[in-house]
Amino acid sequence: MDYVSLTVILMSVSSLLLPIFLFDPKRREREPAYFLGVVLAASLLMIGINTIYPAPGTIFGSLLASDRLGGIFALTTLFVTLIVVIVSTYTKRGPNTPAYYSLLSFTALGMVLLSYSQDLLIIFVAWELMSLPTYVLAGFNKRSMESNEASVKYAVIGAMSSAIILYAISLTYGLTGTTQISAVVQALSTQPLTLATSVAVLLFVTGFGFKMSIVPFHMWIPDAYEGAPIIVSTLLAAATKKAGFVSAIRVLLAISTFYVLTQNPIFTLPNVFAGLALVTMTLGNLAALTQKSMTRLLAYSSIAQAGYILIGFVIYSYGIQNSAFLREASLGITGALFHIVNHAIMKGVAFLAAGLVLLQLHRGDVQAYDGLSRRMPFTAITLSVAFLALAGVPPLSGFWSKLLLFLSVINGPFAWLAVAGVLNSAFSLGYYAWIIKRMYLDEPETAEKVNEPYTYLVIFAVSIGLIIGFGVFPDGIINFLSGAFTNIAPH
Amino acid sequence: MSVLLSLLIVLPLLGTPLVFLAARWNKRVGINLALSLAGVIFLLAIFSYWVVFASPPAPGQYSLVEKYPWVSFIGLNYLLGLDGLSAPLVLISSLLTIFVMIGSKRMMHHMEPEYYALLLFFEGSIMGVFLSLNLILFYIFWELVLIPMFFFIGFWGGPRKKYAAMKFILFTYAGSTVMLLGFLAVYLGAPSPSFDIPDLAGKIPLAVQYLPLLATFIGFGVKLPVVPFHTWLPDAHVEAPAPISVLLAGVLLKMGGYGFLRISLGLFPQASSQYAWAFLIVAAVTMFYGSIVALVAKDLKRMIALTSINHMGFVLFGAFATAATGNILGVQGAILQMFTHAFAVGALFMLSGYIHEQAGTREIPLLHGLKITMPRTALLLVLASAAAMAVPPFASFLAEFFTLAAGISAFPLTGVVVLVPVITSGYFLWMIKRVVLSPPSSEPSAGGTGHDIPKLDAATIALYFVPLLLLLVFSSLILGPSAPVAQFLAHLGGR
Repeated sequence: MDYVSLTVILMSVSSLLLPIFLFDPKRREREPAYFLGVVLAASLLMIGINTIYPAPGTIFGSLLASDRLGGIFALTTLFVTLIVVIVSTYTKRGPNTPAYYSLLSFTALGMVLLSYSQDLLIIFVAWELMSLPTYVLAGFNKRSMESNEASVKYAVIGAMSSAIILYAISLTYGLTGTTQISAVVQALSTQPLTLATSVAVLLFVTGFGFKMSIVPFHMWIPDAYEGAPIIVSTLLAAATKKAGFVSAIRVLLAISTFYVLTQNPIFTLPNVFAGLALVTMTLGNLAALTQKSMTRLLAYSSIAQAGYILIGFVIYSYGIQNSAFLREASLGITGALFHIVNHAIMKGVAFLAAGLVLLQLHRGDVQAYDGLSRRMPFTAITLSVAFLALAGVPPLSGFWSKLLLFLSVINGPFAWLAVAGVLNSAFSLGYYAWIIKRMYLDEPETAEKVNEPYTYLVIFAVSIGLIIGFGVFPDGIINFLSGAFTNIAPH
Repeated sequence: MSVLLSLLIVLPLLGTPLVFLAARWNKRVGINLALSLAGVIFLLAIFSYWVVFASPPAPGQYSLVEKYPWVSFIGLNYLLGLDGLSAPLVLISSLLTIFVMIGSKRMMHHMEPEYYALLLFFEGSIMGVFLSLNLILFYIFWELVLIPMFFFIGFWGGPRKKYAAMKFILFTYAGSTVMLLGFLAVYLGAPSPSFDIPDLAGKIPLAVQYLPLLATFIGFGVKLPVVPFHTWLPDAHVEAPAPISVLLAGVLLKMGGYGFLRISLGLFPQASSQYAWAFLIVAAVTMFYGSIVALVAKDLKRMIALTSINHMGFVLFGAFATAATGNILGVQGAILQMFTHAFAVGALFMLSGYIHEQAGTREIPLLHGLKITMPRTALLLVLASAAAMAVPPFASFLAEFFTLAAGISAFPLTGVVVLVPVITSGYFLWMIKRVVLSPPSSEPSAGGTGHDIPKLDAATIALYFVPLLLLLVFSSLILGPSAPVAQFLAHLGGR
């Protein structure tokens, strides 16, 4: 039996076993976290081995395929979940704690399944498996109005996006008679373009777009991130969002339907992506500049980053059609993948640092960060490194992924997208540097030191190490990621 | 392959945490460690300069080249090299770092561990800018320079330090991201995709040269600075502490001049040659603007900062005079100008710091009779002003003469910029008349110590004049190695 199936089985068992802790009042605060932590670490190890030494072929019939793309996403999301589990132990959650970890486990299982999906139906099932627990997690502070509001808003929007995806899947099945992605692609490529195909493609864009936090499907993001417990927001921003991207890559980038809606050369899939990318990054950055709350600022910055990632989608879907742009397509999609991985680290650690400030100072507004370098020096430096990386300042990891993305579109019909991306990056430093200025140059209200727990410090150190390490020696990771796109779509 | 150039970059960067920890443990040990590291780096820089001087690399070639593959996916190399353009700048950076450290000992008494560590970080990243021959490597070091400078201004600056620091970082970062766009366009536009400057020089098709030339003009123009991208400069220079102003004017602005020569002229020669007239106009406007605004400046330090705008205009002017005519005097003058400006304006900035400390103010109308109250300061101020005015025997005279001669040989009309040194002399002499030669005021100055500059510090400022005097006689020290570079750039332009 291969490692992916083992992981899936292990995590299913753990998700079902965790609620047993509910029956032991003495052992329901910390033990479930230890249990899930061990399970996640074991899964990470198995997926890691499987990614480095892949066992080729399909799993569970042909529902899953253990390829490198899936491995990268599974590793990223499992890593984030493990960190989330570790820092979750710093907050008391009362008698329902085992349920909390069980829900986390279900979400992680959903994300792993989604990473390896090869079939539209398993995508839907995994999508729901991933999303449903997060609706509950977002509302886990059941006495907090904001948390309840975030949960309801997120659940309603989430249900809508699931419905849209389901509708798209049913249309696709009607058109092709199959739900296997590769078979769907083959069938569609032989058919003439119909309205139904276009509608299905656009519905997929919309459905996945909610999770990927693309404008105009983004409005739930700031409210949900702000209202949910901040640890859950970390999970939403750094993990489940990535799962949205992997489904989009698997489904949308494989579909070779070039035109959307009509044969009009303006309504092509690359153009749709390009428009979304432009709107997403610009609006995200503009809105982030005006935020007074740290979580909302991070939420909008997260939206802006999705815009950069979409640039890779643009050039890849264009390159499939124009063989002259194959090199650019490979640059762009590698850049997108690298940026997805980087974003999980950068945004994850930024959320954790903001969470620590919230935990210790009980404040989430940006004024709380005045003079933070003197009160919480390690948190301040971590936030600064993460912010500079998000802005794309070299030699940090975010610089390289943005470099690949912009490099891929600079020559050709989407050069304006590179210009927009670069200007957006310059603009985004405005609010990142603004927070850095608050932390280092402004005076704190009180000068007393604040405790920074060792667990957090270790996580911060590892994340900074990854951000700087990928930044100074990007060769290995870029080559590894570029190998993930050999079997997604025929060149 | 030698590792000399890598050492010039790595040594200061590695020294950063060491000096920080050492200074945290014992302030004196940390500062002395920083000074001795800077001394070692200076010796290495002299040695590398000697290599270039003894056998100048042929046009388009580099000495002490180091090349390792770095990011294979886009064919990126770690490529370092030295020639007659970068060697003088490396020398300036290492020498000014020492001068600044010595000068800081008396002036900076706040957060010393961070200060000296960041000085070394700054030195390492600026070395990287001048030594990199790969566009992306160049860009990385270019951005790295911003981080220490942001904190220098923000931590140790004057009353409006936060504003100045934010303005500095946002202006220069915006400019350099646009520059990066130009680099990216070059990569895919070149016949064989590459970021290595030696591979690209002379091989980029003319059609691909125009937009990158414009993009890099914005990036380098913000740094140099040229009008209208200059507004960050007076704020940053005035708010920064005096030793840091020395680094800003002496080293950081040179990044812009270096970029124009190495990249604008070196990679986009035909386009530069075609539009040289536009750049010459921009340069002339910058020179006139800098000198005229300096004329009315009330703050001594602000006046010196605006002098820098005026002097850096000569660099741009000389560079594009060569692009227009192929007269190599332009580039040679620009290189010499960068060298002499660093020391002349460096001395002026240090003096402005001392005058502020002693007299309690930098306002020119409030300063009176320095020749009576502070004779040493007054003497140094007159000498440094003479150097900035480009009066012989200071080598700044040669630099301005070369660039003007090259410009006039391109378009005789540009002869009007001869007026710029006249205005410059005018405002310096006026300042000297008001500050040095006036009778001392009857009421005692408020806030200042009232003492003259200590003898030892006067001697360190006098050191700034040594290279300026030496170069008038031994100008071949700079002109010799820079000749092949100038020939190469002139040859690329096809004139």
